[in-house]
Amino acid sequence: MLDLATAPGVRAHKPDKLRELGIMSLNGMFDEMDGVAVLRQAVEELLVDDVAIVSSFGADSSVLLHMVSEVNKDLPVYFLETGKHFPETLDYVETLKRQLGLTNVIALHPDAKDIERFDPKGDLWETDPDSCCHIRKTEPLDATVSGFGGWVTGRKRFQTAERGVLPHFELTSDDRIKVNPLAYFSDADITTYKLKYGLPEHPLYNKGYKSIGCAPCTSVVAEGEDPRAGRWRGLNKKECGIHFDFNGAIAKPMAAQELNLFKDGAFIADPFRAWAEGDDAASVRYTHIPLPVFLEHREAVLANPHPVGLLVSPGDNVELVQGDLDRFSSIAINFPAFGDGRGYSSARLIAERYGYKGELRAVGDVLHDQISHMRRCGMNAFVVKHEPTRKALEEGKLATVDLFYQPVGLTEVPVGTRPFLRRALENA
Amino acid sequence: MYRYDEFDAAFVKERTAQFSDQVARRLTGELNEDQFRPLRLMNGLYLQLHAYMLRIAVPYGTMSSKQLRMLARIARDYDRGYGHFTTRQNIQFNWPKLRDIPKILADLASVEMHAIQTSGNCIRNITTDQFAGATADEIIDPRPVAEILRQWSSLHPEFSYLPRKFKIAMTGSTNDRAAIRFHDIGLQAATNALGEIGWEVWVGGGLGRTPMIGKQISPFVPHEHLLAYLESILRVYNRYGRRDNKYKARIKILVHETGIDTIREQVEEEFAHVKGGVLTLPQQELDRITKYFAQPDYELVNETTVDVAKEKILNPPYGRWLERNLNAHRQPGYVSVTISLKPTGGAPGDATDKQMEVVADLAERYSFDELRVSHEQNLVLPHVRVTDLPAVYAKLVEHELAEGNAGQITDIICCPGLDFCALANARSIPLAQELSRKFASPERQAEIGDLKIKISGCINACGHHHVGHIGILGVEKKGTELYQITVGGDATENAAIGNILGHGFVVEDVPAAIERLVDLYISKRESADESFIAAYRRLGDAPFKEALYGNA
Ligand code: HEM
Ligand code: SF4
Ligand code: SF4
Repeated sequence: MLDLATAPGVRAHKPDKLRELGIMSLNGMFDEMDGVAVLRQAVEELLVDDVAIVSSFGADSSVLLHMVSEVNKDLPVYFLETGKHFPETLDYVETLKRQLGLTNVIALHPDAKDIERFDPKGDLWETDPDSCCHIRKTEPLDATVSGFGGWVTGRKRFQTAERGVLPHFELTSDDRIKVNPLAYFSDADITTYKLKYGLPEHPLYNKGYKSIGCAPCTSVVAEGEDPRAGRWRGLNKKECGIHFDFNGAIAKPMAAQELNLFKDGAFIADPFRAWAEGDDAASVRYTHIPLPVFLEHREAVLANPHPVGLLVSPGDNVELVQGDLDRFSSIAINFPAFGDGRGYSSARLIAERYGYKGELRAVGDVLHDQISHMRRCGMNAFVVKHEPTRKALEEGKLATVDLFYQPVGLTEVPVGTRPFLRRALENA
Repeated sequence: MYRYDEFDAAFVKERTAQFSDQVARRLTGELNEDQFRPLRLMNGLYLQLHAYMLRIAVPYGTMSSKQLRMLARIARDYDRGYGHFTTRQNIQFNWPKLRDIPKILADLASVEMHAIQTSGNCIRNITTDQFAGATADEIIDPRPVAEILRQWSSLHPEFSYLPRKFKIAMTGSTNDRAAIRFHDIGLQAATNALGEIGWEVWVGGGLGRTPMIGKQISPFVPHEHLLAYLESILRVYNRYGRRDNKYKARIKILVHETGIDTIREQVEEEFAHVKGGVLTLPQQELDRITKYFAQPDYELVNETTVDVAKEKILNPPYGRWLERNLNAHRQPGYVSVTISLKPTGGAPGDATDKQMEVVADLAERYSFDELRVSHEQNLVLPHVRVTDLPAVYAKLVEHELAEGNAGQITDIICCPGLDFCALANARSIPLAQELSRKFASPERQAEIGDLKIKISGCINACGHHHVGHIGILGVEKKGTELYQITVGGDATENAAIGNILGHGFVVEDVPAAIERLVDLYISKRESADESFIAAYRRLGDAPFKEALYGNA
């Protein structure tokens, strides 16, 4: 644990009694007030231009973020991009940003040097989750939040036994203020609030994940179980970091140069890994299970509580898994060589015929000049290793033909791209 | 003729820009040859023995005079003053520089032409009857549907990395001049019981090292479902076609190994899903495209005839030309004229920049600005008024384009062979030239009648040797070029693959061997009306074998 009071360069101080009293009275005043009022007080009176919001973009984050959007859409919202998130979480960030109109969502990445030094293989979470959280959450957040007089969290009293007494306002040991607008919200309040404002659910919520953090450290919570029991299941660990406690989460660390997954216009860390000899279909997580393996161990995979993906290689018959596709949080279409075009047919069947809506990624020999074809066949994510291709994507300089002659199922967006429909419209 | 609208123009422009970018990346070395190869092939750019070769699509073989003039200009400015018309109804330039390619493509784009998908493992330029829309023996002009297929297949995202190249040919006539039985898919216009016109679909034909005659997969597919049906075939092929061996990767092998009945079932199953979806072709769209191919404003003239017999006496070369190089037209008073690119001693299919310009002028003046490329490597003026024939002929004579040998023994199909092609075993052009000299005498040719010789420099069969009445194939044995002779091939609706009758010949012996086959035929034919191929069918291999190899 990092002791801020003694860390070099951090001012030592004695507790400010007046502040403590002020916080106590604030808590008294706002005891019965609703969350938005608490937030407004913090943003407009207590910590003007001096407050940050920290959100995990987990199962319940939409409520706090909605409140933020009511108060001020430009407030800085920090998201810990630990590199270990479920792809669904990353999708969800985008969904909420869009739907709530938040203009200032900022991803905080772990320090690449720390990752290289402490977690080069990305498996620190397995052996030492505290340290993993430290480098992936505590450090990045600390570095950022130390510039603010306080920050807002989405913690709730009901979440774990220890949180039963969570107040609206807290003073930290270095005299900064944590604001918890949802402190008094019950499970039912959350549900009601979400319904009232039509907030989208985290894509994993309905799959049994009630408290969502980093992928490797999160599992499904049983009915009636404490929602956070799914975090760090089996490990004697309840919270992450010392000062910062929020529903953050993550998995394998990726150094910056390993951000190989191109999705939604940017390279991001890939939470998934490839299937390896000796993997157990019943318990792997974040792994693309080859289709033939899936067929062989179908029951085990369907009972596996973790997020898993499916790997479709040339020659695999996607017909055989059409009913199970929704089980997968990601489907990877494998192009062992770019000249093998079978993946295009597989992708179209998966996306168009079987209606799979999740991440459909191209892996393998993914090159510059094939990406537009892949997109049209329904692929929406690309694992890119070829450096020039990477560069072209990063710079948005893919040389492509964006005019399409032939209709291709559902990926065909602009109306004018189908010659016959284009004409039919004109003549209508 | 089809005219680009804004969309087509923008499409070709983007594609040209894309390929220019790829060429630039190759020139800077960002792309290595391995990475560049599939990209250039997708744009018709081959690396040949001596230089790059650029293949330009002539969609379904139809061109305007403006387009041909541009080809002439390219031949002059970027090549060595000539171009080579191919059995795929395309034109190839043999000497362009890589750095000039973007400029050439931009020039082409300015006249609505391009090199997209003239190579690579994708759906290639769709070929058809060179007399489409003009000929008297046609059920329907296949070009509107060909144009729709061109659009459907252009940069198709699912079918750009097929196991192998994919060639579609179609004919609107029951007299097949497009060799549809020897294409991956052949489409034959057909009429169903209700009298509606649609397409009979053949699949799995091909030449190359394993020649196969296509098999009927569907007797009738209506226009509106044709795209869905073809997409179903392509999907089955893309998924199940062999990729382990490039010599077994064509759809003909899939059909052969799987069996046409199983393939048909797979296609039907796929079709059941695809049919009625986004690929359904609205009649409105078919009508719209058909308008581009409307018949020109013919002058209404009475049936005009030329007295060929009389002309043959007055001016024998002209008479022969009239007899051989005209095809009956649907419109009274008009004919289609074949311009032979097979002069005595010439390289089949080659035309100089000047000759292209002359033909362009003739097309503009006498054929409603339209011309065609035939798979037999000739050019065609599709709509010429019978009364204009003397003027057209006179102009052709001036430029050595007036050979009256269409369909005769010197109208040889010939691939580039060892003179240009990196894959060749043997020369083919010099042999074609030698044969055309040997049989140059018009009287001799007239005596022989219809006889198609086709020459390929290697087993890839670009010169269609399998379907020549007499086919010649260059092979290599212990370092010497040998030529295998086949007999009895036929590319038409009576499709047949020629038989190899024995060992190959060294080049000096080939002309004499061909002569022996011809002499045998003449001596055995029932009458002058029995063609070489008819006589062969009646007589079988034995006498021809004996003619080639003696009694041994
Ligand atoms: C000069 C460079 C050329 C190269 C490297 C080349 C290469 C090939 C190859 C490898 C094949 C066999 C494909 C297969 O069976 O899978 C083939 C077939 C063919 N090529 Fe070419 N070719 C060339 C020129 C031409 C020319 C000039 C023509 C037209 C005159 C042509 C027309 C064809 C045709 C009609 C086939 C028919 C075989 C089939 O469809 O099964 N090619 N070519
Ligand atoms: S949640 Fe797990 S993986 Fe993520 S930072 Fe904490 S311990 Fe590491
Ligand atoms: S047949 Fe052979 S030699 Fe002739 S062009 Fe084709 S590949 Fe070259």
